[in-house]
Amino acid sequence: MSQIKSNKMKFKIYLLGTIFILFISCKKEKHIEVTTDEYHASIDNVIQIMIHDIFSPPVASRIFVYPNIAAYEIIAQNNKNYTSLQHQLKGLDSIPVLDQKSGVNIPLAALIAHMEVSKQLVFSEELVEKFRDSLYKKWGDENSDEFEVSKEYGLKVAERIKKWMGKDNYKQTRTFPKFSVFANQPGRWQPTPPAYMDAVEPHWGEIRTLVLDSASQFKPIPALPFSLDKNSPFYKQIIEVYNISLDMKKKGDSCDEIKMAQFWDCNPYVSVSQGHMMFAKKKISPGAHWMGIVKIACKKTNADFDKTVFAYTKTSIGMFEAFISCWDEKYRSNVIRPETVINQHIDENWKPALQTPPFPEYTSGHSVLSTVASTILTSIFGDNFSFVDNSELPFGLPSRSFKSFDSASKEAAMSRFYGGIHYRAAIENGMVQGKQVGDFVVTKLKMNK
Amino acid sequence: MNNFFRILLVLWLFASCSKKQDLLFEKLDSDKSNITFNNQLLESKKISILDYLYYYNGGGVALGDINNDGLLDIYFTSNQGKNKLYLNKGDNKFEDISTKAGIEGESDWETGSIMADVNGDGYLDIYVCAVVGINGFEGHNELFINNKDNTFTESSAEYGLDLDNYSTSVAFFDYDSDGDLDMYLLNHAIHSEESYGKASIRNKRNYECGDKLFRNDNGKFVDVSEKAGIFGGANGYGLGIAISDFNLDGNPDIYIGNDFHEDDYYYINNGDGTFTESLKNHFGHTSRFSMGLDVADVNHDGFPDILTLDMLPESEKVLKSSLGDDNVQMLKVRTEKLGYHYQYTRNMLQINQGGNNFTETALLSGVAATDWSWSVLFSDYDQDGEQDIFVCNGIPKRPNDLDYVKYLSNDQVKTKINSTKLLDKEALRKMPNGKVTNYVFQGSKDLIFNNKSADWIENDSIISNGSAYGDLDNDGDLDVVTNNLNSVASIYINKTNDKANYLKLKLRFGGKNTFGIGTKIISYNKGKMQYKELQTTRGFQSSSEPIIHFGYGKASSIDSLVVIWPDKTSQTLKNVKTNQTLTIKANTNRKAFDYKKLHPAVLPVFKKVENNLGIDFIHQENDYTDFLAQKLIPYQHSDRGPATAIGDLNGDGKEDLFFGGAKGKKAAIYFQNTSGFIKKPTPAIENDSIYEDASAVIGDFNNDKINDLFIASGGGENPANLDSRLYLNKNNQLSKATFPILTQNAAVVKAFDYDNDGDLDLFIGNNSKNNIFGSNPDCYLLNNNKGVFAIVENKLFAKTGMVTDATVTDFNKDGKSDLIIVGEWMKPRFYANKNGKFQEVTETVLPEKLNGLWQSIQSFDIDHDGDEDYLVGNWGMNSKFKASNEFPMKMYYDDFDANWSFETIVAVEKNGQYYTTMGLDELAEEFSGMLKKKFNTYKSFAGQPLEEVFDSKMLAKAKLFEVHNLKSGYLRNDNGKFTFVQFSNKMQVGPINCFVKSKFDGGKEAVFAAGNYFGVTPYHSRFDGFSGALIKNEKTIYLGNQVGIDLSNKAVRHLDIITFNSKKYLLVTINNKRAEIYELPMAKN
Repeated sequence: MSQIKSNKMKFKIYLLGTIFILFISCKKEKHIEVTTDEYHASIDNVIQIMIHDIFSPPVASRIFVYPNIAAYEIIAQNNKNYTSLQHQLKGLDSIPVLDQKSGVNIPLAALIAHMEVSKQLVFSEELVEKFRDSLYKKWGDENSDEFEVSKEYGLKVAERIKKWMGKDNYKQTRTFPKFSVFANQPGRWQPTPPAYMDAVEPHWGEIRTLVLDSASQFKPIPALPFSLDKNSPFYKQIIEVYNISLDMKKKGDSCDEIKMAQFWDCNPYVSVSQGHMMFAKKKISPGAHWMGIVKIACKKTNADFDKTVFAYTKTSIGMFEAFISCWDEKYRSNVIRPETVINQHIDENWKPALQTPPFPEYTSGHSVLSTVASTILTSIFGDNFSFVDNSELPFGLPSRSFKSFDSASKEAAMSRFYGGIHYRAAIENGMVQGKQVGDFVVTKLKMNK
Repeated sequence: MNNFFRILLVLWLFASCSKKQDLLFEKLDSDKSNITFNNQLLESKKISILDYLYYYNGGGVALGDINNDGLLDIYFTSNQGKNKLYLNKGDNKFEDISTKAGIEGESDWETGSIMADVNGDGYLDIYVCAVVGINGFEGHNELFINNKDNTFTESSAEYGLDLDNYSTSVAFFDYDSDGDLDMYLLNHAIHSEESYGKASIRNKRNYECGDKLFRNDNGKFVDVSEKAGIFGGANGYGLGIAISDFNLDGNPDIYIGNDFHEDDYYYINNGDGTFTESLKNHFGHTSRFSMGLDVADVNHDGFPDILTLDMLPESEKVLKSSLGDDNVQMLKVRTEKLGYHYQYTRNMLQINQGGNNFTETALLSGVAATDWSWSVLFSDYDQDGEQDIFVCNGIPKRPNDLDYVKYLSNDQVKTKINSTKLLDKEALRKMPNGKVTNYVFQGSKDLIFNNKSADWIENDSIISNGSAYGDLDNDGDLDVVTNNLNSVASIYINKTNDKANYLKLKLRFGGKNTFGIGTKIISYNKGKMQYKELQTTRGFQSSSEPIIHFGYGKASSIDSLVVIWPDKTSQTLKNVKTNQTLTIKANTNRKAFDYKKLHPAVLPVFKKVENNLGIDFIHQENDYTDFLAQKLIPYQHSDRGPATAIGDLNGDGKEDLFFGGAKGKKAAIYFQNTSGFIKKPTPAIENDSIYEDASAVIGDFNNDKINDLFIASGGGENPANLDSRLYLNKNNQLSKATFPILTQNAAVVKAFDYDNDGDLDLFIGNNSKNNIFGSNPDCYLLNNNKGVFAIVENKLFAKTGMVTDATVTDFNKDGKSDLIIVGEWMKPRFYANKNGKFQEVTETVLPEKLNGLWQSIQSFDIDHDGDEDYLVGNWGMNSKFKASNEFPMKMYYDDFDANWSFETIVAVEKNGQYYTTMGLDELAEEFSGMLKKKFNTYKSFAGQPLEEVFDSKMLAKAKLFEVHNLKSGYLRNDNGKFTFVQFSNKMQVGPINCFVKSKFDGGKEAVFAAGNYFGVTPYHSRFDGFSGALIKNEKTIYLGNQVGIDLSNKAVRHLDIITFNSKKYLLVTINNKRAEIYELPMAKN
């Protein structure tokens, strides 16, 4: 018995010793805590860099999606509530498997992967590095072992994602022909004042889709045929845009239509001519605006880290598909902008409330994108999710309140009509297109278990 | 050690002294001259370039003898400070009499200053311009009438000239030839909603911005702008003005330089008090950001030429970090949709072709890039008989800096700038300074100006705006005064002194135009003509001394001076001694002058045939831009049509015509009958309009005694249909026969019996492989076997180069038909025919390095020595391309970024280093990942030589093309060996695309040449200035406009001689235009 007792004692001492050692080491090397705010901050940092580097809205959607997928694949390795996107997204497989015993800090690895993939995608890498290095320093000081092992895994996953995204035809589309302007085709899109920029991303429809079968899977009904016959549907929709703008002029700048137009004008190319120059006046891209709404929803629901990553990822996948689907149609129909037609045939001096963005009119990018985003956000956070959208505050525009994602997206879509840069058909059919894309992504992707 | 330093010091002093002695212009110390005027901008006024776009335009200078004491006085405008008048006391000493004289000016922002005898009392008055009505600027333009006692009385209201506009400058001249001085007011627009948009904005008058013409009605100036046809729109960014009788009809015309998108204006005086603005009819293209300008006859043809300034930097570092030209589609919108003319960012030297059209030669002449330039003054500063150029320039802050523009475009920055001005300082700090030394160029023969900035003037970093010339020290040579921004004015004293001879002419005309403004003087000496017209408003915001000055080198006297007075009378002075100042008074018995007899036509001329002999073919180029698909290629190749072929197609013995069509456009056949040519509908041809017809030949290919038609396809479009087609003629019906499938872009086809078997074989020269510019195409030799053609397999014609033309000729005189082919990025290649087998002998017969961008070849015994020489048309020299044996132009070809698409990178040498012709944004369209990450700012990219931009390993791996020579000329035959001899520079203004040989005037054989080409990006502008040329022998070459045919602004593709009713005519086939027929300049038949 005493033998047993003594053994017990030994065990107790051993246990105490172990606890003591553990205690000591805990004091020295505490566990690294990565917060959801740090993930939001990494997204915000990318948005800031995009303002600096000037990316068009479709390219911006690509910059959002891949870093989020990288982060999501890491959290999905460890959280039974989420399913990996391998074999669900075209060409995505062979994500490095997490060794559960390796001591990897999952949120830490996810955030590292997010920054690493972002860095690859922007031009100003040093701005990602600056943001990253201050975090690396902090984490290294807190727990260098945990940091190193998490970093190693995070970078491994990032490498895999980079290799996969390198095959999405982006590089090839850079060398594809620019959009041809044919001055003699009356209904065909032409560059618009004042900068008369080249058409943006005429081959974005050829980018590899993630979930959709093809870019044209949800091809909207054809655009109205161009006509200057006063009784034609096309002419009537021109006149509608023109009349609404006259109406708004009467109401003045404080009317709600103008406020809507301003709020949702996430056009990063609003250009102002001044002095010996023509320059692009940048705001955030429309995709960035919806990323901002994801943040608002996550914060309002106190979403945990994994859910935050999930929400960003699913929304950005939808937006990526939205741009491919929408751009596929834009350069199929090549519809002329209201500003061009009205200036040529109705009122030489007419200017839309918003500056016309440099790509064909049909369908409306905001309408497709916003409907997709709201469909996905509704699937995550539920319908009738009221929120105050303050994402345009840094750009000098007041907050707006919405009773649901759906009402926000409908307003975003209509704002383009009030802005004088779209006909009604591009808004309405764009929303249908967006709903189809959004529903497809929601049904097809199995992310929550 | 002390000694060592002393020696160094002495050496240094010696070096700097000897350097200084060489300067043509010595700057006068302000201690000595007492001239301390400084156009200091007052920061305290809280206005900056961010508020007023012309904040840095500076002030003017006016030179004139205000007290008629024989000494030239100086007036300066200060933008915000007090204007100054300095009285010349002799010996380069001046006295500031500003306060006493009462000319300091009352307006808040003053600009140009012009001296003229406005009231015609024999004393110079001073007119000062002001900007009024923006930024809180108050006041009005002021007219200081000379009281003849060194004081002045401001009298603008009395004369109706107290204008409150945005004025830049004025010119006083007698537009209606009524004997008094009228006034043109040059105003400038500011950026506003109103000033953007269509060119037609200029039709709607705007009080502040629009230019105005005032008629002097007995001392009252009446605004006659509208009636006189003067534009006055909100888009008139007027910065430059010159008055000159450009077409030499005796009535002064006007050239206005407008900044930004607004076209320059060229007002032809109709002689009835009205003007007709005619820029587009007479100028192929102009400066885009036109600033100051000046006029002088630089090529001794008696017609005034124009130099307009712009802001193209010479330095690579500045060039590649500044906003460049439009992209190709934007230019298209601007010209085709908005109605503006072709404008490009560089100085433009417009050479007057006999009072009609102007040919632009600035790149060829070496004066295209002088950075941010304000004022230019032509004069013969070194008195060698050639006009030299003085350019003053510089800007404290460059608002077109690309990094600054990118910074500004950040919305947060923009919002703050607009609302609070908090960021003004930061924004201003971001703009790099643009202080560059002034430029001087020495004029020489053959349209060339040599940059003498390093030798003739002291180099500094002072910003100079207005400038004027005059003889301050009365030593006969012309000194220059510049009004400097934030620095003391510069007085450049000319030290030519007695090294060369001169004539200084003062005019006394009488009436109200006392100084004889508008008088022309032609100097003739030993067969050399010099021509000058007295106009004092020159350069920028300034007026020069009212004299006419000629330089004569060593000549101690000259043959004659013809003085043509403003009232179209003249008098002649004979055997005039040089080195003197002559005051010429209008003779009472002077003769009426007939301008028509001034430059009589002496040569027989081509005459355009009214009805075009019934040929109504208009070639229409299809809407395709090569640069959209192949973004980095140096020029297009889809626009080299149409094909033309001449021959009897219906067996009636008369020549018929074939014109090819561009892709999607119908080709046409015209049959000849006794009354002319009639279009013959030919479905077999018209139905094949999916092809772009690159070259065609009519011949009997199946030996049935009836001519057939062969058409080679090309066009370089994506996608392309490249099948060449043989149409056999049966019973006057053409039908397509089988022919080998060819898959490259053809440029030229030649039909000849190379194997001497009695049938016509074919040679096809190809220009490119489709959509892979840079991959060398093959040429094809096709053997005819009873009407069935087969490609002759041989390595000789494989990857021959980018062929453009070929000629079948017996260059070795062995009685066999040899071949010479020419093309781009290659040298002319000689193939000897040895009994039906070709052998290349290029290196034996033409050993020199001679890669060019060759366009055409023509056999012609140009030196009349009995053997065939070969005229070869090249790209020409009025181009940003640059090539020599020492520094060939280079083109690298590879899939640089490994994305399965091949790119070309073109680089030219500058100061011993190679630089890409394209900027960061253009290169990034193909290499965005590679370059945008490497060069995060434009500053980091600018000034980087080629090997720093692209990895040297990458370049080493690429295929390298070179060009050694861009000049057109001829290959002189010396006993079967050939040497290249270049044509003179008037033949180098653009590509020469075609030749035709004939006995044009019934005498000896001569060659007519034509060219021009527009398929380049706005960076290169347009090659539009070649009016064609009649080449009689190596010494006698007349430009087209001298022989009645002006093909400038037309991209001529083919010249052919056709016979109609036994008379010969010249057929000119033009890309994208109607074909033209001319009668030959037969002396007598």
